[in-house]
Amino acid sequence: MRASSRFKSVFLEQMLMGFQLSGFPCRTMSLRARMQAIKLSADVAMAVARGSRRWTHGLIAHLSKKEDNKSFLKCILGKQYERLTMPCYSSWKIQRCKTILRRSFRERFGKQKPAQACTLARSLVKKRAQVLKRLVPGGKAMDGYSLLDETMDYVVCLQAQVDLMRHLLGAFEASKLRAQTKGTSSQGRKSIKDETDGNKKDLIELCMHLSDNA
Amino acid sequence: MEPRGSSGVGSGNSGTYTPEIAESLRFEEEIQSLIDPSFDASSAAGGSFTALLGLPANQAVELLHHPGPGEPPASAATDTLRLPFGCSSTFVERAARFSVFATDDSPASSSGGGLSPGLKAEPPDSDSPPTLPAPAGKPRRPSKRKECEKSKVSRRPRWGFLSRKAVAKKSKSAEENTSAAKPAAEENTSGDKLPYVHVRARRGQATDSHSLAERARREKINARMKLLQELVPGCSKITGTALVLDEIINHVQSLQRQVEFLSMKLAAVNPRIDFSGLDHILSAECGPLAVASGCGGGASDPAMWASDTAASTGGIRRMPAPPQIWHLDVVHPQQSSTVWENNGVAHPHFLLSPATSLVGYDPASSVPLNSNRLKTEL
Repeated sequence: MRASSRFKSVFLEQMLMGFQLSGFPCRTMSLRARMQAIKLSADVAMAVARGSRRWTHGLIAHLSKKEDNKSFLKCILGKQYERLTMPCYSSWKIQRCKTILRRSFRERFGKQKPAQACTLARSLVKKRAQVLKRLVPGGKAMDGYSLLDETMDYVVCLQAQVDLMRHLLGAFEASKLRAQTKGTSSQGRKSIKDETDGNKKDLIELCMHLSDNA
Repeated sequence: MEPRGSSGVGSGNSGTYTPEIAESLRFEEEIQSLIDPSFDASSAAGGSFTALLGLPANQAVELLHHPGPGEPPASAATDTLRLPFGCSSTFVERAARFSVFATDDSPASSSGGGLSPGLKAEPPDSDSPPTLPAPAGKPRRPSKRKECEKSKVSRRPRWGFLSRKAVAKKSKSAEENTSAAKPAAEENTSGDKLPYVHVRARRGQATDSHSLAERARREKINARMKLLQELVPGCSKITGTALVLDEIINHVQSLQRQVEFLSMKLAAVNPRIDFSGLDHILSAECGPLAVASGCGGGASDPAMWASDTAASTGGIRRMPAPPQIWHLDVVHPQQSSTVWENNGVAHPHFLLSPATSLVGYDPASSVPLNSNRLKTEL
């Protein structure tokens, strides 16, 4: 199951736009800050490209919790920002009745039934489901079936993201190499122009690659 | 089925033996030889019971009662031939023959009810336990074994615990066991594929709407799990929900770590990259896509989030940027970095670049038209 080409192209555009937004040419950022900015823009691009899913809502809500990201998100999302970062999306929990919870706690810590195979299997599965809920954004509010659904979607999108970023990295590195080789030969202002040309070539290759892949 | 006074099974009882009984005894002997490598078949004078007698009583009882290798495993000729101790072809053949006997005598051979007619005749008796379904509960098996043995053992007065009275009692108790265990058998066998004449509903389940709904839900979840298994590499061979979930968790974690690692590498590579030019390229390459999909303008804004499909580039147009900057950029579409430096100091996060990109996305449209469109979306 692979993501569609349209998804990938939108993703790429959004990501590059996000890079620009976070002010990349500004050299004062440390490596860590740059890394976080890249990751943020990549995640937001993925969420925006995917559209409206539970995990995308959860992801954006999670990202908007940090103060630094809010302005970035506002820019990207525009009008949608207010709607999407409502508290319900971020702190979405399944409403559980207190008496039931109390009863279940009592059962758990009261008498322990002898571990049968079925109950053991169920407890194992439950533990893993809890871990998965933590991993998938917005997973706390999902029941078993929708959790699996969202996980599937999320995995597809993550794979596409990794793919895209790898290609992007390759393109940038190639351009850098080209710039370096050209830089040794001809120095001065020309190198910048060559770089942009190199970037353009690389990105053209990247887009071709994307369209080919899809 | 009278107790024999003689010690030797073979010679003394040959007169009363039917050929099938002899067969069954030889069957037993073979089993014994397969179980016990030290067992000397030749020493057994004509029958397995002398061989059994050779063993101490406890061991023999163990062998009889243990549902393990000592039990003739063939449930049906064609079906599940459990051969836990090697595949002897003669064994298989004999098992097949016996099952044929069993089916002849007891029509409902697979069901527990087939036992009562089977009790009367000896060879089917020896095979009615084997023809029982494999998942039959263990407590049932020893009782069946006892029945099976009772006919043969009835000649052996040394088997005190299987005297005739005891045998009669045991047969009754066995019958009770079978009748009690019938529902269990039903429940088991309804899941197995056995030649029932009529199908019984699962015990206390089918008519209940709750359980039906639960079953439907379980099947949905299983379908999703299968899809996930196909998605995650190396998961298709794994059976069991917990292990598959383990793999999925590992895969998600590894993907997230890869994203982090790649973003760090991109950050390391990045400093000299000029992003302005990229948009133009992107617009050139992906222009047809963008134009085709995202011509809605303002309408694309809600549409993007409403629809599930990967939306158009209309989202990009939703940039709230101060109009003056647009005009500036409209005038200087090519000089992005300089524009940044001029205007971007106050708000480095704000969007000269999206404006350039917006311009870039509509290279064909005229400039004032573009700005008008952008204004309307504010």
